[in-house]
Amino acid sequence: MPHPIPIAGVHHTARPTWKLAETVHFYRDLLGLPLVHAISARGWGPEEHADFLHFFFDAGNGATIAFFYYIGTAPADFAVARDDYRYRATHTAWRVETREQLLECRAQVEAAGIPVKYQIRHEMIESIYFDDPNGYPIEVTWQVRRFSPLDIEDARRTVEAGVALEQAAQAGGERFASIEQVWRTKARELERDMEHA
Amino acid sequence: MPRILVLDVPEFRPLVDDARARDGYSVSGPKLGYWRIEAAGALEFRRKALGVKPAVWHGALTGGLIGRIDRFDNDVMRIVDGESP
Repeated sequence: MPHPIPIAGVHHTARPTWKLAETVHFYRDLLGLPLVHAISARGWGPEEHADFLHFFFDAGNGATIAFFYYIGTAPADFAVARDDYRYRATHTAWRVETREQLLECRAQVEAAGIPVKYQIRHEMIESIYFDDPNGYPIEVTWQVRRFSPLDIEDARRTVEAGVALEQAAQAGGERFASIEQVWRTKARELERDMEHA
Repeated sequence: MPRILVLDVPEFRPLVDDARARDGYSVSGPKLGYWRIEAAGALEFRRKALGVKPAVWHGALTGGLIGRIDRFDNDVMRIVDGESP
């Protein structure tokens, strides 16, 4: 495996908004994240590009939450939030260090009148979920424990099983249609490795 | 004999502990980081008895499955011999 590219966490996430005042109010006044940078520029570049505002809220630890506001444009269809799990798959999860901080976030969000949609304990993380005025999902999460070498090896086994099933289906073999196929493929590989261990 | 492989991490430990306390269930390992749980008839687990949340429950077979899922809903997971059609 090559050395990882030398990145060190998030600088900014960026999404478009067509609700300038509401977005500023939500992030700055309700969540309390300071507005720390704003670009106002004429549209430029190779494409026909609207004039825009590009502004950033401090999200802690050097990270920022950024928005583009394209002046005088209507929302593009592909950018309008939908109530669909495939849409919600695109989201950012913001980190807190402890469960106490997660609960503190929840209390503060709810005190600001923002509905918390879920609080979910996953395998390695526990998260709260709420939406911003644009309909973009926001997750705040704390990680219960660090990834261990076993987690990493298990991730390899899981994903390689999925890749093998995808490739077999693309080659005209069995349709890749359920997670059971992954679990079976993984079990076969694992039992083979166990025999030789 | 239906069996499952369970990753040896705290999140999935309730499956191992539950199986160990049950007659007719055999638990071995961990080998290569996985427990093996098997039973002569069917393997059956109940989520509330394990005390795991739904997100973990629905991924509880991620270690591996040798058998057929006869039932897997929010409350009960039952695995029997054979493969799904």
